[in-house]
Amino acid sequence: MLTTLGFGIQTASVLAIAAVGFTVQFGVTNVLNLAYGDVMTASAFAAYALSGVGVGGWWSLLIGGLFGALFSLALNHFLYTPFIRRGASLFVMIIVTISVGLITQNLLQAIWGSNFFSLHLSPGATIHPLGMVFTVSQLYIVLVAVACLLAFHGLLSTTKLGKAMRATAADPELARNSGIDTRRITSLAWMLSGFLCGLAGVALTLEIGSFDAGTGGALLVPIIAAAVLGGVGHPYGAMLGALVIGIATEFAATIISPTYKDAVAFAVLIVMLLVRPQGLLAEIATTKAVAA
Amino acid sequence: MWRAPIAPASPEAGPRRDRIARIAQLIAPRRHALIAGVALAASALAACSSPPGTSSSGSSGGTLTVAAFNPFTGVDAAFGPEMVAGCQAAAHAINAAGGVLKKTVSCKAIDTRGDPADAVTAATSMVATTSNLLGVLGPSSDEADATAPVINSAKIPMFADSGEASFDHTKLGYFWRITPADDVKGYAMALWAVNHRQLRGAAVFGNDIGSQSNLPTLMKAFKQLGGKMVITQALAPDQSSYRTEVQALIAAKPQVIFTETSPQEAATYLTELKQLSGRLIPMIGTDGTLQPVWLGAVAGAIGKPALHQYYLGEQPYAPTSGPSWSAYNSALLAAGAVVPKPSQWSTDSYSMTDYDATIAMALAAVAAHSTSPAAVNAHIAAVTNPGSGKTIVHNYVEGIAALRAGHQIQFVGAAGVIDFNQWHNSTGGFELAGYATNGNVQEIGSVTASQIAPLMNP
Repeated sequence: MLTTLGFGIQTASVLAIAAVGFTVQFGVTNVLNLAYGDVMTASAFAAYALSGVGVGGWWSLLIGGLFGALFSLALNHFLYTPFIRRGASLFVMIIVTISVGLITQNLLQAIWGSNFFSLHLSPGATIHPLGMVFTVSQLYIVLVAVACLLAFHGLLSTTKLGKAMRATAADPELARNSGIDTRRITSLAWMLSGFLCGLAGVALTLEIGSFDAGTGGALLVPIIAAAVLGGVGHPYGAMLGALVIGIATEFAATIISPTYKDAVAFAVLIVMLLVRPQGLLAEIATTKAVAA
Repeated sequence: MWRAPIAPASPEAGPRRDRIARIAQLIAPRRHALIAGVALAASALAACSSPPGTSSSGSSGGTLTVAAFNPFTGVDAAFGPEMVAGCQAAAHAINAAGGVLKKTVSCKAIDTRGDPADAVTAATSMVATTSNLLGVLGPSSDEADATAPVINSAKIPMFADSGEASFDHTKLGYFWRITPADDVKGYAMALWAVNHRQLRGAAVFGNDIGSQSNLPTLMKAFKQLGGKMVITQALAPDQSSYRTEVQALIAAKPQVIFTETSPQEAATYLTELKQLSGRLIPMIGTDGTLQPVWLGAVAGAIGKPALHQYYLGEQPYAPTSGPSWSAYNSALLAAGAVVPKPSQWSTDSYSMTDYDATIAMALAAVAAHSTSPAAVNAHIAAVTNPGSGKTIVHNYVEGIAALRAGHQIQFVGAAGVIDFNQWHNSTGGFELAGYATNGNVQEIGSVTASQIAPLMNP
């Protein structure tokens, strides 16, 4: 059981980074960015490209994060903002982000082909903390996830920027009337969430060993599930949601069958949402026009 | 049915790697959207004209038509050109030798789009509008269940490249199959493992229908041969981790892993196996795992030396030497005017079987003194199957010479001996190929049809 718990934590660590980025993006910007998984993949390809010139290993995480930040910022500035200015509805924006994801994925496929690629990182020794099983590199990825999430917590709870982001997420108009430069805050939110997105993309590819143009997109549903479970727009909820999804998935594989691990995990999601529709830790979710 | 790895087919030609369900159906097609767009355009073009390298219409009075009835558009669009290459090579050889009873042979591509509904319409149209139809190459697994009865009803001989086990004991009298059925792979994998004293097996297959179709015969044969399947796993596609499954595998202590999974599943699974166990376990994959994209993904994940050391893949055996193959390859290269880059098909086992099928039908017509499809059908086994006193021939020229001399013949094709059973299946053998560290695939050994036969009919 402890071994399975350890596997769940490993799965959750990557999922948590991605889910926090996703939920912050939506919470602050009100754009449900379904191109998120493909930005993760693009970031992994950026890291892969630089690994070819000797900048690899753990640097790949930073490179992926930076690329994700810049790419997300560019997407917002050149694509999403013009639509928002024209009053595009949430539904229209969903279609736009799907299109962006599709274009990104096909561009990656056109550039890199339909092949698989690997980012190499020595797994290190296998260790057994508390009866769980980790390689050293997996443990580092878990620690990176924890560090990122703690840093994000610190940012949100102790800095002016964090407070401004939370205020913008809760009520953009009121925040603007209170003197917060919401456009700047929105751009920063895209960068920060994009950084987490890129970081998650590289962490994912380090975990799974091999990736192609569709790899990040395949994780989109669990990411959204974790975000929804935690309460859309709520970073801490996304962390908890990722942990629940990750652990439920692994326990389902152990106790029932690997074939049904997704089904069981999402059954858990549905049951929990029936009990608590607003998500595990959500106040913000209720203020968002999710249903729109 | 997974295709031979040697074929330069698109990486999309294999079984669909179903992604985790995305946001309902809005996003589902995105991965292949570009391909789908191209396929759509190609479909529109195909509706107006035949694919290149084929005759553009039915046939004239002096021309017999062999229909290449396969997908030329859609996700399995790579199948069609592979088939046409074999057909055109055979047509070139036949026409160079004077044709079939003084009639020339041409190949006509019929696009099934890999879709049963479209294929039924295409089959109905083909049999209704194609005059002087000598026979059909195809259908493939995509459309065989739906269209083989249609072609059979029209009494046209067909050489299916379908792998479905449902045709193992078919009662369709005009159905012929040279390529091994999918389920036969299981027998060959089990035989190889047991012959190498690997008696504790693990079956690790994707949970898709294509992958799972290998399991029943693998389980049956492995048990029959004294092996024990210590664990069976059906992997859900595109997970970010298979650690729990890998942990269970390690605990079961298998000596060999039998597998057919998507490249992504295999890369993740084997990476985690290497991490958690510290070493890999010998594995035998189906021909799907011999595809370059699979090998590339796994080699990238676990390293080329590890893949070289632990992996073997099986595929239908098709020799690339000998008089029959030489005749095929010469005809193929000579057909360069109608087959783009013909050398790409030189070692393609499916192109070889399509060549063999066309030659066999032509020789059957000569033997029957008739180009009537029914007469041809009645003589196919007579010109291919072994038999005492038969003259062995390796190409069309040798075949018609022997027939004119009054001999009975056994045509040995480019892909090897053709020996149809009562259900018109010629199983053939398999080769086990390994991964060389330079990225090539190399033959390691083989499992013959005679070794497999006792397992199929104990």
